[in-house]
Amino acid sequence: MADRTDSVETAIDVRAITRVFRNVKAVDDVTLAIPRGEVFGLVGPDGAGKSTLIRMLATVLAPTSGDALVFGHSVLTDPHHVKPRIGYMSQAFSLYGDLTVQENLDFFAELRGVPHRDMASRSKRLLEFSGLTEFRTRQAQFLSGGMKQKLALAATLISEPDLLFLDEPTTGVDPVSRREFWRIISGLHRDGITVFVATPYMDEADRCDEIAFMTQGRIILRDTPSGMKGRVPGRVIEVAVNDYRAAMPVLRALPCVHSLEVSGDMLRVLVSKDADACESTLRDALTGAGFTVRHVTPSQTDLEMAFATLIPTAAKNSDTSDADILAVPE
Amino acid sequence: MSWRRIRTLIWKEFVQISRDRAMLPILFIMPILQLVLFGYVVGSDVRNLNLAVLDQDNTVQSVRVVDAFTSSGYFTVSARPTSDAQLKDALDGGQAVVAITIPKGLGDAVHAKCAGQIGVIIDGSDSRTSGVAAGYASGIIANLSNQFYGAGGAAMTAGGVNAQVRVLYNPTMRAVNTMVPALLAFILLMSTSNVMSQAIVKEREKGTLEQLFVTPIGRADYLLGKLLPYTLIAVVQLTITFLVGVLWFQVPFRGSLLVTGGGLMLFMLAALGIGMIVSLMSRTRQQAQQTSMFLQMPQMMLSGFMFPIDALPKWLYILTFLIPLRYILVIVRANFLKGSTFVELWPQFAMMAAFSIGIFLFGLSRFSKRLAD
Repeated sequence: MADRTDSVETAIDVRAITRVFRNVKAVDDVTLAIPRGEVFGLVGPDGAGKSTLIRMLATVLAPTSGDALVFGHSVLTDPHHVKPRIGYMSQAFSLYGDLTVQENLDFFAELRGVPHRDMASRSKRLLEFSGLTEFRTRQAQFLSGGMKQKLALAATLISEPDLLFLDEPTTGVDPVSRREFWRIISGLHRDGITVFVATPYMDEADRCDEIAFMTQGRIILRDTPSGMKGRVPGRVIEVAVNDYRAAMPVLRALPCVHSLEVSGDMLRVLVSKDADACESTLRDALTGAGFTVRHVTPSQTDLEMAFATLIPTAAKNSDTSDADILAVPE
Repeated sequence: MSWRRIRTLIWKEFVQISRDRAMLPILFIMPILQLVLFGYVVGSDVRNLNLAVLDQDNTVQSVRVVDAFTSSGYFTVSARPTSDAQLKDALDGGQAVVAITIPKGLGDAVHAKCAGQIGVIIDGSDSRTSGVAAGYASGIIANLSNQFYGAGGAAMTAGGVNAQVRVLYNPTMRAVNTMVPALLAFILLMSTSNVMSQAIVKEREKGTLEQLFVTPIGRADYLLGKLLPYTLIAVVQLTITFLVGVLWFQVPFRGSLLVTGGGLMLFMLAALGIGMIVSLMSRTRQQAQQTSMFLQMPQMMLSGFMFPIDALPKWLYILTFLIPLRYILVIVRANFLKGSTFVELWPQFAMMAAFSIGIFLFGLSRFSKRLAD
């Protein structure tokens, strides 16, 4: 049923989609195109409208206005051609807790019309790669959080969809299972499956081909992770000092310091322009104030810092004009 | 529509029911429990009423009067006051709900073939009991009167009433005979509308409904996948109720299984429609439960299920026409007790069909629109 021979190169083409819940614009005029085969990450605070956007794209929620084409088919007027091509994992566990692992897989395979001759081999393969083989006969409600999510993913994959919508799939999942989960997603990416994933975790966003930042129903930033970091004006310097809390106001007072954040027991300082000169300025200021400085070293910009720096400007711009922010830079 | 999907949904529903420890007893023990409760408690006949006897005559005739009351089985002598004051105390204190006073001179009056007097006093604080007691008492006295004076010589009167009542169809007036047929309809209403709306709302609550809507199933698939299992369960429940009613409670069945079954199936459409509407109005199972209860109350009260509707005030009586349970009750009761045929019952069938199909279609039309929101 998965037809990968069609010529549509854009997996998802979102056209001015809006969803209003009782006068609140949960999704506000979002336009977005996602190429086939990409792992696309959607980040943003709780209540930004990520789930609402995903639910509209997955055909379970009707847009108030606008439309989206999934492999060229409208989610509004032609959902029957969209559904067979997609898989959707909602934020909450949404399989049947009182059915066993195997029964859940069989159930969704039957509903999605997986040919009977393929069912056994597919579910065997999915159980193996999600590590659930030994839990086949266990009721889903008695699985751990991480296993539940892997089962949900397996159930979504049983029909071999071309496009996966994952809404915060690893929220509440332990770090080991999270890593495994992303190992599976990387595998899907290699198979050419398009993945649209909402995540609150920056390390997960970093593994996507492209990320978009959503807030108050709008997408205000979109870039590759490295592009996002590259847009940060200035450089990051890592400072290790004996009493970092007391050191923060001292650093903030310096003219070359743009912003800073705490990372473990160190400070990550964003400095404008000339990092080398600034390095010594920082060291001198701290020693002068009586701190013991362990080290001051240049470091990489991370996504967290990139968002902290870029969002205030982007949010301000999006009020006036959307176009230049949504445009993907070369 | 796809039979493969419907079959899968039905299979899933039965696996879930079989693993639900709360659901299984409810589905199969509830009908029996209801039958026993309604059959023995609500539907119990008024028997062994406590009787106070003030016999100031003490003749052969006065003893025969008391014997006539006790041997009927409806009355048991619980007090023998010796004065009017004591008699009043017995009634006030609840030792007796019915009292008879036999003034001096009854025996002489019977010998002289002239009118004798017996006083019957009934505690009216429970209107149902007192109504039945009054009926029994006047029946017994009328009977005695015939014995004392011969037929036609009804010179003894109780409260001025000398009724000759003949009850058709249910001559012993066993309440269970009208209760069991009604329960068939009521259980059907409960298990289809309640249980099905619970099952749908549960899916929404757990998020599985949303997951289903990403699969290619249509609303016809989904609905049939829900309707068929609960229809099948309802049929099993009906069979249990029917058999227990006929075999254990000895309720006569004089009608046709086809007319009864057909009527019940038609009524089920209404029940399913109500279930769908409830499931649309509710976000959580608790809400669904409360909504069902809210809808059930007027249905029980205004359909004639427990209380007669003929005496209702006019505006309330008009409302009863809007309740499909009303029509099916007439159909099943008439079928059980009178052996009525479809020809006699067609107005009820017509009204019920109109409502059932209307409610079902309304539920259906609202179903897909709001399901996933």
